[in-house]
Amino acid sequence: MSMQTTDAAATMRATGKPAKKKSSGRLMILGFLSPTLLILIFMVAYPIFSLVFYSFHNFSALRPNAGMTPAGFDNYSYLLSDPDLWQRFVFTGKFVFLCVSLQMIIGIFVGYQLQKSFRGRDVIFTLLMMPMMLSPVVVGFLWRYMLNSEWGIVNYMLTLVGLGKVDWLGQTDAALWAAAAADTWMWTPFIILLATAAFRGIPETIYEAAEVDGASQAYVFFRITLPMSAPVLFIALILRLIDSFKQYDLFFALTGGGPGSSTETVSFAVAKTAFNYFYTGEASALAVILLCIIIGLSLILVRHLMKLGERY
Amino acid sequence: MKLRHTLMASAAVIAASAASTSANADTELTFVWHAGTCADALVEIAKDYPDKSVTIVPALVPYGPEWHNKIASEFAIQGDAFDFAMWDSQSTAEFAGGGHAVKINDIFADSDYLSAEIFPASSLSQYGEYPDGSGEFYGLPANQDAYGLMYRKDLFEDPDEQVAFKEKYGRDLRVPETYQEAKEVAEFFTRPDEGLYGWGQMGGREYDFATTASNSFLWSFGGELYNPETFEVQGYLNSPASIDGVQAYVDMFQFGPPGSGNWGFDEVNAAFQQGQLAMAMQWFYFNGSNADPEVNKFAKDTGFGILPGAVGRDGKFRRQFSVGGQGMGINKYSEKLPELVKFMEWYFQPEQQERYAAVCQTGLKAVLDSPDWQGLNSYNAQFSKALQYLNDYWHLPEYPVLLDQLQEEVSNAVSGSKTVEQALTDAAKKHERTLQRAGHEIKRSDSTPEVPDQEIAPVGMDDVVPVNN
Repeated sequence: MSMQTTDAAATMRATGKPAKKKSSGRLMILGFLSPTLLILIFMVAYPIFSLVFYSFHNFSALRPNAGMTPAGFDNYSYLLSDPDLWQRFVFTGKFVFLCVSLQMIIGIFVGYQLQKSFRGRDVIFTLLMMPMMLSPVVVGFLWRYMLNSEWGIVNYMLTLVGLGKVDWLGQTDAALWAAAAADTWMWTPFIILLATAAFRGIPETIYEAAEVDGASQAYVFFRITLPMSAPVLFIALILRLIDSFKQYDLFFALTGGGPGSSTETVSFAVAKTAFNYFYTGEASALAVILLCIIIGLSLILVRHLMKLGERY
Repeated sequence: MKLRHTLMASAAVIAASAASTSANADTELTFVWHAGTCADALVEIAKDYPDKSVTIVPALVPYGPEWHNKIASEFAIQGDAFDFAMWDSQSTAEFAGGGHAVKINDIFADSDYLSAEIFPASSLSQYGEYPDGSGEFYGLPANQDAYGLMYRKDLFEDPDEQVAFKEKYGRDLRVPETYQEAKEVAEFFTRPDEGLYGWGQMGGREYDFATTASNSFLWSFGGELYNPETFEVQGYLNSPASIDGVQAYVDMFQFGPPGSGNWGFDEVNAAFQQGQLAMAMQWFYFNGSNADPEVNKFAKDTGFGILPGAVGRDGKFRRQFSVGGQGMGINKYSEKLPELVKFMEWYFQPEQQERYAAVCQTGLKAVLDSPDWQGLNSYNAQFSKALQYLNDYWHLPEYPVLLDQLQEEVSNAVSGSKTVEQALTDAAKKHERTLQRAGHEIKRSDSTPEVPDQEIAPVGMDDVVPVNN
């Protein structure tokens, strides 16, 4: 092999043709990559470019006859000076923290139990995955009926144990918990799925060695199981963080953003501004802000993930 | 050889079916509306359209923002996925203002049958005129509606209840004519231990649920949403009279089931049909199902009335409530306008509209004026009276933004996270910001009235005018 390479190199030197071969190789690479690149440019780059372009203009897709006028940073300054937007960021933050914490804790706990072998495990596992297969809008409506203060099953069960009815969707704090419960019900299975896969991937010999050394269950869990599955769990955390941050459809069906605007996430505000108000320029600016936050958040988390990957 | 025969036979079948399709030349006229009794009625009537080459295809969505957004999104891409649509009266400004709706005046000019005269002038104006008072129409009053009152006749006519009420309040029990009376009657019938509540109304955050109800109180107490001449909102929407009205609305939730502050019309219907409510604010639109014993087990004991008015702080009586229903608008980008106009000429004939009026509310004058119409069901007689008390939101292209902002703040007041005064003041500030951004100049007055209705289209009367008793 090395002899052939040396020969080829000598020929190239003698004939002066190496550059041509190199360029034809590059062309081939470009040829293979171009369909994907074209799709990426069409599907990702162009919409992002349009988004940024519109964000610097006053424009409404519903009122094209009003034209498009350059707005500089007006859309951004208008949005960032609007106290309601900050309120939506605060709510989104609370919701993300609550949901992701609950989902990670419950998901890891249940996933740990499901890695053990017991009769009916596969059936339970399959049943647990079902909420994840539903559409968020369906989940929203389902929980809306379940949480109905007068004839919902949740309040009915509360009254059975002697507790009073709660106006779940009519009060600000209760509505946050209601939305978090619905989101947790739907997405904890995703954490369970990844956690179980991660836990099952840990070699059995490590557990056997720990057992020989007399390690306790808690020690094994916190010092072996969790650290060794950390990269996968971290990926699950990143995906859930990004997804929760973008949550819109659940709130659309569950609370409609209310009471007041107390359960409006930033994504909800983007959708409303874009497709209800049809303030295309303003909605684009808000989407750019949201995009920057998500990209920033993802970069930080991915960096941590890389470090974790190097460690384990 | 066998393959060749098979290919020839296939080609013949394809050619024959293509020829057949071409010969039929079917036209589909697609319309967008929210799903419900009235959309079903239109589809049923359209099945008898004599021109069998034309099919009316419904593209129905749930009531609420999806309905508005489906129409608006199609207009935004200047698409022809639908040919006509039923949209809310206040959306006419948005869609006509955006240049997406066909001007109906042109159709009136060319049609042998369709003309402004076949509809009541006020209805045509409410459902299709833009700008207000311009005489330019972009919609026909296809489905009129008004906020109404439904109540349990068996409770109101029960002699024991009547005696108990008179003992407690010193007057006869009757269907309320004012919100002041309604509050007492609602309080009287609120008996949580028996699973009975005095009053049901919408308060939900979605679409226009809270504000169609709260506006009915606001206007009746003499309040206004804004001054259409000066575009002032502060001092009007949060005027003392407006605050009185919305406060009265918020107070009525204490006579509804717990959590009713989050209700939409479905919940109001369900609670009433289950016998939980003595009275409920509800659109006439739903009376077809609420009068049906198969849907409402209290149907035979259900009375349909007109919403109360109120005696405002200036001592004047006003009865004003939200207009409902939809106008029929035409998509400017549709390429089937000739076929659609022919269908409309048939659909708006009295024969078809009588069928429609049996379950929903027509806008055709000939039917409304007919002596039979009021007897078609148990609520048309009241509906005919209700038409004179209708009021509407802003007829401005910025309507969806203004609506959402008012919804948000009224919902804040309902949930108790803000006082009514604070909520309306915040809404007024947001509205002015929106109007200014849209290019409207706000001409600030030196002072604003305590009861804005005295300045803007006054309707106050010295005495209560009873309509329910």
